[in-house]
Amino acid sequence: MNAFPFADYLVTAIFALAVGLTLVGALVAALSTRIIRGVSGLMICCVGLAGLFYFLNSPFLALMEILIYVGAVCVTIVFGVMLSEPDEPAEPEKPGRALLWGGTAAAICLAVFLGIAHLAVNAPWATPAKLTTDGSVRAIGVSLLTTYSLPFELISVVLLVAILGALVIARSGRTKE
Amino acid sequence: MSLKSAVRETLTGFKSLLTGMRITAREATKPIITVQYPHETLKMPDRFRGHVQLILDPETGKSRCTACGLCVRACPSDCLEVDGIKREGEKKKSVTEYKLDFTKCSLCGSCVEACPSDAIEYSKAYNVVSRDRDDFAKMDLVKDLDAKAKVWAETHPTPPAAPAPVAATPGSPTPATSAPAPAVATPGSSTPAKAAPAPVAGRAEAGTPGSSNPATPPAPAAANSPTPSSSIANAAASTGAAAGATPSPQPESKTT
Amino acid sequence: MSFLALEPIRVLLYLVGICAFVGGNAAYLVLAERKGAGRIQRRPGPNEAGWAGILQPLADGIKLLAKQVMVPPGTDALLFRAAPLMVMAPPLMCLATIPFGDTVVARNLNIGLLFVFSFGSINVMALMLGGWASRNKYSIISAARVVSQNVAYEIPMLLVVITLLMITGTMDLNEIIKQQAGWFWNWNVLKIWVNPLMPVTFVIFFTCMLAETNRAPFDMAEAESELVAGAFTEYGGMGFGVFFMAEYANIVVGCCLATILFFGGWQSPFGALSDGLWGPIWFLGKTYALIFTVIWIRWTFPRTQFYSLLNLSWKILIPLSLFTLLLTGAMMKLPLLFK
Ligand code: SF4
Ligand code: SF4
Repeated sequence: MNAFPFADYLVTAIFALAVGLTLVGALVAALSTRIIRGVSGLMICCVGLAGLFYFLNSPFLALMEILIYVGAVCVTIVFGVMLSEPDEPAEPEKPGRALLWGGTAAAICLAVFLGIAHLAVNAPWATPAKLTTDGSVRAIGVSLLTTYSLPFELISVVLLVAILGALVIARSGRTKE
Repeated sequence: MSLKSAVRETLTGFKSLLTGMRITAREATKPIITVQYPHETLKMPDRFRGHVQLILDPETGKSRCTACGLCVRACPSDCLEVDGIKREGEKKKSVTEYKLDFTKCSLCGSCVEACPSDAIEYSKAYNVVSRDRDDFAKMDLVKDLDAKAKVWAETHPTPPAAPAPVAATPGSPTPATSAPAPAVATPGSSTPAKAAPAPVAGRAEAGTPGSSNPATPPAPAAANSPTPSSSIANAAASTGAAAGATPSPQPESKTT
Repeated sequence: MSFLALEPIRVLLYLVGICAFVGGNAAYLVLAERKGAGRIQRRPGPNEAGWAGILQPLADGIKLLAKQVMVPPGTDALLFRAAPLMVMAPPLMCLATIPFGDTVVARNLNIGLLFVFSFGSINVMALMLGGWASRNKYSIISAARVVSQNVAYEIPMLLVVITLLMITGTMDLNEIIKQQAGWFWNWNVLKIWVNPLMPVTFVIFFTCMLAETNRAPFDMAEAESELVAGAFTEYGGMGFGVFFMAEYANIVVGCCLATILFFGGWQSPFGALSDGLWGPIWFLGKTYALIFTVIWIRWTFPRTQFYSLLNLSWKILIPLSLFTLLLTGAMMKLPLLFK
């Protein structure tokens, strides 16, 4: 690879592309008024994220990001949108209330963002001398079932809760009939 | 649904799918059965009812129509127009104008039934097409007949009234036309019109769509050479006109 | 020629080749499909353009290219235009990691299988966006069908693939092929000593592939008798053409994958003669055999009803694939207990 001219520039360009996709996708997802475009933005964002994962030397996660978030989550969201009520104009909210809630949300978001940014900037990032894992399936499997088995199991609890919640909602809808 | 029946249903379903695939595979190896239309045309059955047309009498090369007008009266849709004159030396009138309004004709056949001299019949033309309404509204049947008569005349260089032995002599010029006359080359054929098989063939050919096309609007060219190739060209031209892809093959002379 | 030997250049050249391969295949598979349909219905199929219709795809292509690309009023123009591109890109990406021969591969990845599936899953999204953006009731119904069909069939397909992953222990497509070396009974589809249900596994995979690529008898997405053309209703000209080509490109990818996973990829059926040029020949031969089976199936079976389509997946294929998964696991691990 090193023999290729402009290799560094190329890598930088692709990295910039990934970051740009992530940012643009996120902005589109947050700012667009049409929900379908919001989902498309989310999709673009996920593709960008996959690119970033790839740069972090974990192609497995990158592909999983695409498979699960683009192929499954976004599709499910759109499916949910399709099955939901047609667009109706939102009730005009009182400007005072909107301002209050909007301000609160913005403040919280800002606080969270600044906190994380502070941590990220001040954290002692130790650059590993060599690659700790090769990003392969085997490495991920081993670390999931040894080092990170607790988070792994906790995630399954989240899924369980989600399934139970779905069941509860579905059942209550049925009994009301 | 119990497990057992589910399994059985799955298996029988799968088997029926395989059966279906076997059938299609078998069909795929059999020869093609469709008619490649512009290249091949179907021969219309005898009872096919195309538009009416005048019959060319194979013996005289003329129409048998006497312009009596019975067909005009029989027609419930009032779509025929006949006119004729009485020629010198003939007992009956002969037709000079026979117009069919095919846009109104219901192909009921009353005209054919009514004709006392058996002068009209159904044509076998099914691929009639034109861009000009008048080709159907004023179908000139006499003209179609004339075109056929010309072909007939080419295969019958000797007028029936003329003495036949003259034509039979090798080397001597035939009186009517200079066309080579294989039909009358047989020595001793004193009545060429009767003996020659060509007129009968001409009559029979009128049954095939290709050669019956002389009677149809887009096909005066075919009248001059009713060969299989011209019938292909004619049919192809007809489809072309139908699709609007090619300019109309109509000759101007057709729209009188 | 050291420049050509550089990895990025080589990959680029391969990608160009793959684009050509997909384009040519898409064009000529349409012809093959029409010819095949003709044979099955005992008619010759397209036979006017060129010798035996060999130029028909060219004529179709020119016709589609010459047509105006219409964006009907009321549509979401951006998504409407983006959908055909999105539907065409994933199969191209997928083919980049598919090994046509031992060394004939654009970029072999150690997670090639996952790569193919992750990009293959974008296809649904593209069809759905196209259908939604068209702002047409038929298209929306079609989009909803595409989604529920793909969600339903993705599950058994992935379960089957997990079964295979347990057997092969790798996601490297070339590695999977190499494990099936030797005579044809080493192909995964016939490895019944690993799992007696291996042929069934292949049938599940193939069925799911038909459903994922929206092929008859599962072409609910463009059920022309009910939905005009489904998600493609509003597309004209090359927009429609691209959707159409993408369908065939997806079939090619699916059949390539089936060849790799079940039929030993570029391995010859008798253990020898699978290196060099023979590899791609075997590979393409098997792939095209599968593709013709797909065409054959399309012209044999009528379209299923939508609920029976979903029933098939949820009530038969998913339990069956779960069962094969468990059986494979048991057969692989149980002997270890008694050692
Ligand atoms: S077929 Fe009937 S409608 Fe037509 S011209 Fe003869 S009598 Fe008239
Ligand atoms: S076609 Fe027959 S019925 Fe009609 S005018 Fe001639 S001879 Fe009379």
